[in-house]
Amino acid sequence: MNKVRNREAIRRLALREMKSDRRMVFVLVLSVVLTCIMFTALTSVGGSLINGVQQETMRQVGGNRMAGVKYVLREDYEKIKADSKTRDVVYHTLVGDLENVKNIRAEVNCAGDEDAAEASFSAPEEGRMPESFDEIAVSTLVLDEFGLPHELGTKIHIELSVDGEITEHDMTLCGYWKGDKVSMAQQCWVSRDFADKYAPEPDTEFAFDGNIKYAGYYMVDLNFANSWDIEGKTEALLSRIYSDGENIPQAGVNWAYTTSSVDGGTLACGIVMLFVVFAAGYLIIYNIFYINISTNIRSYGLLKTIGTTSRQIRRMVRIQAAVYSAIGIPVGIVSGLMLGKVMTKSIMRIMNVYSENSYAVSTKLLALICLISAVFTFATVMISCRKPCRIAAGVSPIEALRYNETDIHTKKKSKKSAKVTPLSIARNNMMRSRKKTVTVVLSLTLSMVLVNTLFTVLRGVDEDKFIKDSIVGDIVIKHSENTQNFSDKIKGITPEMIGEFEQAEGAEVHPVYFDYGSILPDDEACEKVEMLYEKNKDSGDHMEDLKAAVERKKYQAYIYGIDETAANYIEAEEGSIDIEKLKSGRYVIVNTYLWSEKSEDENYVHIYHPGDMIELEDSKGEKHEYEVMAVGTMPYPLSIQMYGLFFTQVVMYDEEFKGLAETLGASKLMINTDDESGRVKEQCKAICEKDGSQLVYTDKQTYIDEFSGLMSMIKLVGGSLAGTLALIGILNFVNAVVTGIINRKRELAMMNAVGMTDVQQKKMLMWEGIHYAVLTAVWSVIIGSGLSLFMGKNMEDGLFFFSYRFTLLPIMICLLILLLLSAAIPYVSYKVICSDSVVDRMREN
Amino acid sequence: MTVLKTEGLTKIYGDGQNKVTALDNADFSVEQGEFAAIVGTSGSGKSTLLHMLGGLDRPTSGKVYVENKDIFSMGDEALTIFRRRKIGFVFQSFNLVPTLNVYENIVFPIQLDGNDVDEDFAAEVIDTLGLSDMQERLPNQLSGGQQQRVAIARALAAKPAIILADEPTGNLDTRTSQDVLSLLKTSGQKYQQTIVMITHDEAIAQMADRIIRIEDGRIMTGGAADE
Repeated sequence: MNKVRNREAIRRLALREMKSDRRMVFVLVLSVVLTCIMFTALTSVGGSLINGVQQETMRQVGGNRMAGVKYVLREDYEKIKADSKTRDVVYHTLVGDLENVKNIRAEVNCAGDEDAAEASFSAPEEGRMPESFDEIAVSTLVLDEFGLPHELGTKIHIELSVDGEITEHDMTLCGYWKGDKVSMAQQCWVSRDFADKYAPEPDTEFAFDGNIKYAGYYMVDLNFANSWDIEGKTEALLSRIYSDGENIPQAGVNWAYTTSSVDGGTLACGIVMLFVVFAAGYLIIYNIFYINISTNIRSYGLLKTIGTTSRQIRRMVRIQAAVYSAIGIPVGIVSGLMLGKVMTKSIMRIMNVYSENSYAVSTKLLALICLISAVFTFATVMISCRKPCRIAAGVSPIEALRYNETDIHTKKKSKKSAKVTPLSIARNNMMRSRKKTVTVVLSLTLSMVLVNTLFTVLRGVDEDKFIKDSIVGDIVIKHSENTQNFSDKIKGITPEMIGEFEQAEGAEVHPVYFDYGSILPDDEACEKVEMLYEKNKDSGDHMEDLKAAVERKKYQAYIYGIDETAANYIEAEEGSIDIEKLKSGRYVIVNTYLWSEKSEDENYVHIYHPGDMIELEDSKGEKHEYEVMAVGTMPYPLSIQMYGLFFTQVVMYDEEFKGLAETLGASKLMINTDDESGRVKEQCKAICEKDGSQLVYTDKQTYIDEFSGLMSMIKLVGGSLAGTLALIGILNFVNAVVTGIINRKRELAMMNAVGMTDVQQKKMLMWEGIHYAVLTAVWSVIIGSGLSLFMGKNMEDGLFFFSYRFTLLPIMICLLILLLLSAAIPYVSYKVICSDSVVDRMREN
Repeated sequence: MTVLKTEGLTKIYGDGQNKVTALDNADFSVEQGEFAAIVGTSGSGKSTLLHMLGGLDRPTSGKVYVENKDIFSMGDEALTIFRRRKIGFVFQSFNLVPTLNVYENIVFPIQLDGNDVDEDFAAEVIDTLGLSDMQERLPNQLSGGQQQRVAIARALAAKPAIILADEPTGNLDTRTSQDVLSLLKTSGQKYQQTIVMITHDEAIAQMADRIIRIEDGRIMTGGAADE
């Protein structure tokens, strides 16, 4: 087949045409840039957050491999390594734990190789892995714990516990790396010789029996080709290797992969966001292309007359689109990345993320973000220009030359006569293309409603409520241990530390003590628990706990000891709180929590009521009896902020509590102060920042800052969304008006010829614009009020710091602007076409 | 009485090398109640002349008097208002407002002026042009001939000093052309209406009282038409 070599001609024509209207090119490129910015910002925020969460989880877990096979022998490791589906297989063997450390957990292991250390984020940054018998490589956190300098060759005295047997060794530091506080345990690497001597490979397979021995077993970590369905792949791997089904070892999936990549909610949210951006970009680009095409429709008609085919015209438009993309996308990506960075920063601040290095964007990720944004933007541009393209290509020469909107798409054959005024003609014109009117009004309404909703949300967010539920008193000190780990023992803030805070002049310290204990329910309580079980038994496995509680006549209690100031913050749901009664030590405030998937409020179930007697067993095993004074919940900021599945919270006077607890440690300190200078805050902060204190300082200001961060986030996201939608709305409107005027150029000239003055024509066009505004007003008031009421109610239920107030003020303000715009845009557009004389305009036939 | 008069009417497009003299010192006049045809070939300058007469375009030099008023001494806005009161147009392509029905199109210029429509006169004109049955129809429901009759009615209804018809039969077939033209002529006579029509069609021109020939922008003959 002969290939016609016309591509060059078409390309030249496309480029030439662009050069002839630079203003239009600028606007088109701008629309591409805007779309690209939106995509890039979205993907970079999404990408760095997902990646960050994953990295952070990996650090917590202490490994970056997708799956691990636990407690196996060397032969198992070799089988796994030999399997064709596994990659990057590494192992370390278990030796023991460091005993002579207090504030951290440190494991002693022997890495298979450097990669194994790398895989657990524990490869020496200085020095190397241990080789000779007494060498050891540890993290800086371990060195800090021992109070040793970060220097190779340092002698370290360790007490090593191998399955409970403790031995002491003097080791030499051969390598170290920066320790990560996030990770659950610190690694200490020893040499193979050392491991072989103290924890040799066992002869038998690992068994969970009475006396579990871990030492010497292999921990194998591995990757698969991709992170899709790791669990299934792991199972398949095990059944391949252990086909006889005997002695299958334990295996686990790294939950860094399961939590971040297969989270349905996040995924759906991301897809919705992508779709919104796509739709926004589509509408913007589509509108501008449409205007461009209808302005040039005559020239397309002309091209067709002289023999250009539809395909060639389509190609022309596509070439132009590609050129706009080539200019717009790089600009958009650069600006989008900058915007994304700012947004990610502010999101991280709000999320209280502290390990910034987890959230650092790697070059690989950056490239991926750029690629995805570029592809999405390009796709959007190409899809957006398809319809305008079809219009350009599908036009017949004659039609193009007469292109005007005189075809009335109504089945009406006649109409009643009425007095003709600019207003009445405008009204008739609006009816011409109802589809267009609906589109314009709809998109304007959408942005209007969104702005209104955003404003309602911003107005409804209640700072006082937010602060009240976030912090009680001026300063709250908590122990970092009980916020991070779900350990059974709350170590807490020791009396000595509390003393330090009391030293600060002007500080009024109110400790909140905490300990676990058990409730020994009487028959009446057991009956209630059983009823709860019957009611909820289908809603989750954990309901079996209720059954067990009845059978054993015992379940978990969270015991708080507080002083009278803290007690004042408890709100009684039933009964009343009498400080004097509380002080007597015989009365307690209780509430019972049962985890359920329903909303927060329904999680509290009332088993005990004022006047009931409650029997409590403390952690030492001693029994006490108290009378329930009131039903009430510890204020969230003073509680331990952890929830078991089923427990009763018992609040008593601190003097009484001191008699119960095994070790006295406060979980929180509430500090009030009249000091305005900030000196007390500084002192408290200094105490918390002392080495090894593990105390976390928060004060009202922290939450005020967090609140304003949250607000600016809502403003940023909501504002840009509303802004984009407003832009689309206005563009749709401009499109409707401008194409309307361009296409009716001749009609307008003719009306001018038979005596319609410029003033009257402008009036008519402005009335048309005002019609859009009025229609928009009606719809946005209706939809806006509805949505505002609906959302307001829901948000009030969902967000603790939200109090709903109805408003339509933003709609009113926007309408005023819209009204002005709707009058101004037709006026300006008319002026533009009037640069041609009436005769010239009439001649375009 | 002279209704329409031109003095040294000249229109030059472009300049230098591209200079085109579309109209060259055209002088002629039309009397009250006269039906004049301006005849010329394509490019002779007849359309330019008509546009000048109607005040749609401004001349390079020279003057146009309508009822003794120098129309180009007025500003654009005033000229448009003058046009809708004194000049009725009939275009080749009908040029009806697509969203208005027949009646509304006819009274459009009058109502734009804010005046009350002389209903009796309008009804008479509509009747004369045989449009009584279709007053509430929209233009897209009419044939070409019907549309042109509406355009003529629109021109007549405002009782202008002069009707300018630009190839009024250009888009119509021969039979319809004859009908429309005789309607134009009879209604002109009936209402003592001055009509200036341009055409390239000799046969059509023959129906006029007087034929003005134009060639290369110059008026060749302005004598009375053969009776």
